[in-house]
Amino acid sequence: MRRRDFIRLAALFLAPLTLAAGIGGAHAQGVDVEGILRDPDAPMAGNLDGDVTIVAFFDYNCPFCKKATPDLVRVVKEDGRIRVVYKDWPILTEASVYGAQLALAAKYQGKYDAVHDALMAIPGRKIPKEQMLEVVKGSGVDMDRLNLDLALHGPQIATLLKRNNAQAESIGLQGTPAYLVGPLLASTLDYASFKRAIAEARRRQATGE
Amino acid sequence: MMMRMLLRIAVPVLAAVSTLAGPAAASKPLKADEAFRLEATRAADGTLALRWQIAPGTYLYRDSLKAARAGTPVALATSPGEAKDDPNFGAVEVYHHAAEATVGGLPAQGEIKVSYQGCAEAGICYPVVERVVDLASLKIETAGSEFAGAGATLARLSPAPLSSPPSAGVPAGAQGSPPMAIAPKTITQMPAAAGLPEDAAPDRASALFGGNLAVLLVAFLGFGLLLAFTPCVFPMLPILSGILAGAGERPGPARGFALSAAYGLAIAVAYGVLGIAAGWSGANLQAALQTQWALGAMAVVFLLLALSMFGLFELALPSGLARRLPQGRGGSLSGAAALGFASALVVGPCVTPPLAAAMLYAAQTGDAARGGAALFMLGLGMGAPLILVGTFGARILPRSGPWLVRIKQVCGVLFVGVAAVLATRLMPAPAGLALWGALAVGVGVFLGGLDRSRPGHPPVLRLAKAAGLVALIYGGTLLIGAAGGAGDPLRPLSFLAAGAHTAPAPAQEVRVSTPAALDAALAQADGRPMLVSFTAGWCTVCKSNERVMDDPAIRSQLAGLPRIAADVTAYGEGERALMSRFAVVGPPTLFLVDGAGQELPGSRITGAVTAQDIENLVAKARL
Repeated sequence: MRRRDFIRLAALFLAPLTLAAGIGGAHAQGVDVEGILRDPDAPMAGNLDGDVTIVAFFDYNCPFCKKATPDLVRVVKEDGRIRVVYKDWPILTEASVYGAQLALAAKYQGKYDAVHDALMAIPGRKIPKEQMLEVVKGSGVDMDRLNLDLALHGPQIATLLKRNNAQAESIGLQGTPAYLVGPLLASTLDYASFKRAIAEARRRQATGE
Repeated sequence: MMMRMLLRIAVPVLAAVSTLAGPAAASKPLKADEAFRLEATRAADGTLALRWQIAPGTYLYRDSLKAARAGTPVALATSPGEAKDDPNFGAVEVYHHAAEATVGGLPAQGEIKVSYQGCAEAGICYPVVERVVDLASLKIETAGSEFAGAGATLARLSPAPLSSPPSAGVPAGAQGSPPMAIAPKTITQMPAAAGLPEDAAPDRASALFGGNLAVLLVAFLGFGLLLAFTPCVFPMLPILSGILAGAGERPGPARGFALSAAYGLAIAVAYGVLGIAAGWSGANLQAALQTQWALGAMAVVFLLLALSMFGLFELALPSGLARRLPQGRGGSLSGAAALGFASALVVGPCVTPPLAAAMLYAAQTGDAARGGAALFMLGLGMGAPLILVGTFGARILPRSGPWLVRIKQVCGVLFVGVAAVLATRLMPAPAGLALWGALAVGVGVFLGGLDRSRPGHPPVLRLAKAAGLVALIYGGTLLIGAAGGAGDPLRPLSFLAAGAHTAPAPAQEVRVSTPAALDAALAQADGRPMLVSFTAGWCTVCKSNERVMDDPAIRSQLAGLPRIAADVTAYGEGERALMSRFAVVGPPTLFLVDGAGQELPGSRITGAVTAQDIENLVAKARL
């Protein structure tokens, strides 16, 4: 396991090649750094004043995302100084879009986290819409309100998904999951490698690299 | 120079092998387009066959393979995939390496839309890829498709969201507003390291070593077979045909088999011994065998073999030994074995990356038996094709006669070439160039380049003379180049143009061969990262690496990066300590160290480097 972490982290070291040109870089071309880090419509979690931001691009039918989510949740909780930005990026199945819309609509009643966690907790990669809806119903959201918000904010949700997609493409993401940990970029991480990545991100932020 | 070119060709194959070897992982992320390559063919009966090539470390989901014509789904016939049962993901069927699907009953014209989706083992799932296949031309175009969310409109739970979930048949976006206009989803470049499929390589490698012995042996047999098709093995072919030719009249298949099997087995034994020794000593034995004395001795042996081929003397075993063997020609059996043993060590440097993994494993675990067995199988794999050539190749050889003399002479020249390759590692580049020049002149003369042409000469002789003249001129050029201080056989006269160049930036390279000297060099770096490269005078790949780094564009990039060359040519106490400090298995190995002398993770490259590798290293050093 240690060796795997080591390699994963080694992969992280390459990441600033992209992000130096993107996030915080002077030569940013078509990369909306502000939008990626502080999109007002994107759901956030963790410590909103945290010193490290993790931006998660994911899909509700992505098995690796589901595998990594508990580790991310645990790290964020234990660390206490991490801000999480959720980027729903439904690219794998049609139902993924449906799930993303449900979750983002729940945000208007402050229940994004509940729906997100519920959808991420269904194992598998081909979860149909019906099953997603069932799980959402069981997550404690007010379904009438959800329905209303879908109708009221539908266009806004659609625009957000479009924007997430554009942001993902602008930094060259190839698939899900993708985690921006401070200035670093990684795919699937586990508990230990999340922690290492966060430590490395802090180190870099401190030294201004 | 031939050898160097061949080495260069060998590199891609070796790289493929060495991804399994772990240490050599100069990893590049794959794009979805690179991971899955689609091809289409149509059979005589009109059946359309779709074939995917699936890159190592990635897989396609069987149930993701879909096709549609004019918006209507088309049934695809697919074969069962491998069951992938992950507690996280549930049971799914996936394809590794390749997948195929067929569609019948299609018209001759028109187009069909194909979509597929997969993931990389390293932990990234690619978006659905959509392609349009033209049924007439079978051309495959990217579909002007949107990302999965693009075509869909909003989920609507109304009018009765709570009581009735959306019916299964109705896609999320089937009702309501027009599709969102999201830019067509293209799989964009991935400059960074999101999902490296190679991430899994070290795990795979350690699983390989830790696991079932049979799997290990079969895997190494496979590696060996792969290596057998690299030019590393080329020098073995003339040696083997020399043995076969030396067996007197045309050897039958049985004789050919016996000889080549002896040769192949000896190769395997040589590697096996290497593995066992590595397991016991933990030292870099291959490097020890590449010392000047060993190389010099081998060069002399090959020179003697060459002289024998030219008919100066006959190689024969002591008659007492020969008599005990059947048919009285058995001397060549043990000769073949001896040569096989020697050949294995000669081609050693060429196979460093895969050998490195096995030897590192053997040395670390001290499991001599396992390391030895693995390397034995590697050698067996390398020898197997040679045995085939020896057995069946012998049958198609022409009958004994003047050809035998010719073959022997050609082998002689090749043996001299091998001796020269070995010898050039022991001398400065210009001296090596002069050696090659002399060899080329000799070949030119033997080809009749200086013979007088007569009206009655057949075209073959004239061709030989022409080739001889070319060899003479080339050899002469090399000699002139050597006199001018050049070292590159492909650019022997480059020194003439050298004056025109601006003076090269002084290389900030410190050569060290002890840990103390390394520490001193590190202290000069003021905490900046430095590039450490392990190199040795006998290491041909190191030389070609140096040539890569000598490119003006690369040199300017490297200008700001202090370099330490750890020279392990001598392989004494200090060199051993240096190598064990960084767990270096053998040169060439390059990596970055930070100011504290710690290796930067992920920066290590074992084996041949490309300009791109150097650029990546430089970029990494600037972080």
